[in-house]
Amino acid sequence: MGASDGDLVRRVKAGDARAYADLVARYRPRLARYATRMLGNREDAEEALQDAFVRGYRSLARCDDPEGFGPWLFGILVNRCRTRGAQSARRERLLVHDDAALASVPSAEPPGDDEWHEAVGRALARLEPHYREAFVLKYVEDLSYEEMARLTGAGVSALKMRVKRACERLRGMLEEVQRV
Amino acid sequence: MSEHDRDLPDLIDRVARTLREPVATDGALDARIMARVLAAPAPAAGGAWWRWLRRPALSPLGAIGLAAILAGVLLAPRVRRTPAARPTLSEVQFVFVAPRASSVSVVGDFNDWNLAATPLARAGAAGVWSVSVPLEPGRYTYAFVVDGRRWAADPDAPRAAGDDFGTPNSVVLVRGAS
Repeated sequence: MGASDGDLVRRVKAGDARAYADLVARYRPRLARYATRMLGNREDAEEALQDAFVRGYRSLARCDDPEGFGPWLFGILVNRCRTRGAQSARRERLLVHDDAALASVPSAEPPGDDEWHEAVGRALARLEPHYREAFVLKYVEDLSYEEMARLTGAGVSALKMRVKRACERLRGMLEEVQRV
Repeated sequence: MSEHDRDLPDLIDRVARTLREPVATDGALDARIMARVLAAPAPAAGGAWWRWLRRPALSPLGAIGLAAILAGVLLAPRVRRTPAARPTLSEVQFVFVAPRASSVSVVGDFNDWNLAATPLARAGAAGVWSVSVPLEPGRYTYAFVVDGRRWAADPDAPRAAGDDFGTPNSVVLVRGAS
């Protein structure tokens, strides 16, 4: 069993910067998944991930609960994804403009895994960012609404509404794919 | 299976399961991250003033200085910049009026949106909260958080562009000290 988060954080704070590598290895998979789901592509996700880890390191003196490093770092990533997502949106305005083209997932054959994954990725990308964020935090990261409220600053009732709307929109976009 | 999965419709459950799958990353990503980490300032650097803000220990001289700052709050614009002792830092004063609040903090790019990092103190006048934060030149997005729950933009500052998440944010531009 490896060192606890608290042990590693205390070592880093004491000057052992290389102990941070264990924290990177420990949290990279989950954080990479969140960033990829939120930003929709690997390049932006890896940039956001790097930013979050570096900011986490530089701000470690403010991590008052070393055992709570994971949620603390995740909060930094959520905000990096917001910032990077807004930058990307301004840069690209928008990923896809043609809703009809987006909806035209072939339906004559049962969708294979690749097709399903592509359809889910496209549908997620089409959600408004605050719906996407709420859905991913709830159903991918498995957070409670109270945890989501602390991370996002939104109220619990607003978050429930966002998750509900996200589900409705995803269902509308994916039912055809699922049905066949 | 997590608790909420039992209530999920099949389609949404399938979507969630798909999105929970691990994602591939560049095999050298950890090394790239650590290269940037090792090139960054040590984490303890710059932490002292945050600790002071959270556990202020005032000398008599410090108390006089704080009193002067608080007195200035009532005469100052909502966000203002004053010359700082260090040439690369400017003191940015964040002021928010919330008469019924039990606590107010400011969160932003400069403190990694940490709710606990930068609490505002009551500034003397009823409902006025204030904190002064030394910031390097740059553009910062921020918001006030009232009672740990309600986010509010600064009514006297520009709103952040691209605020797509339904939470209000403001922008402060800190120019280099001249």
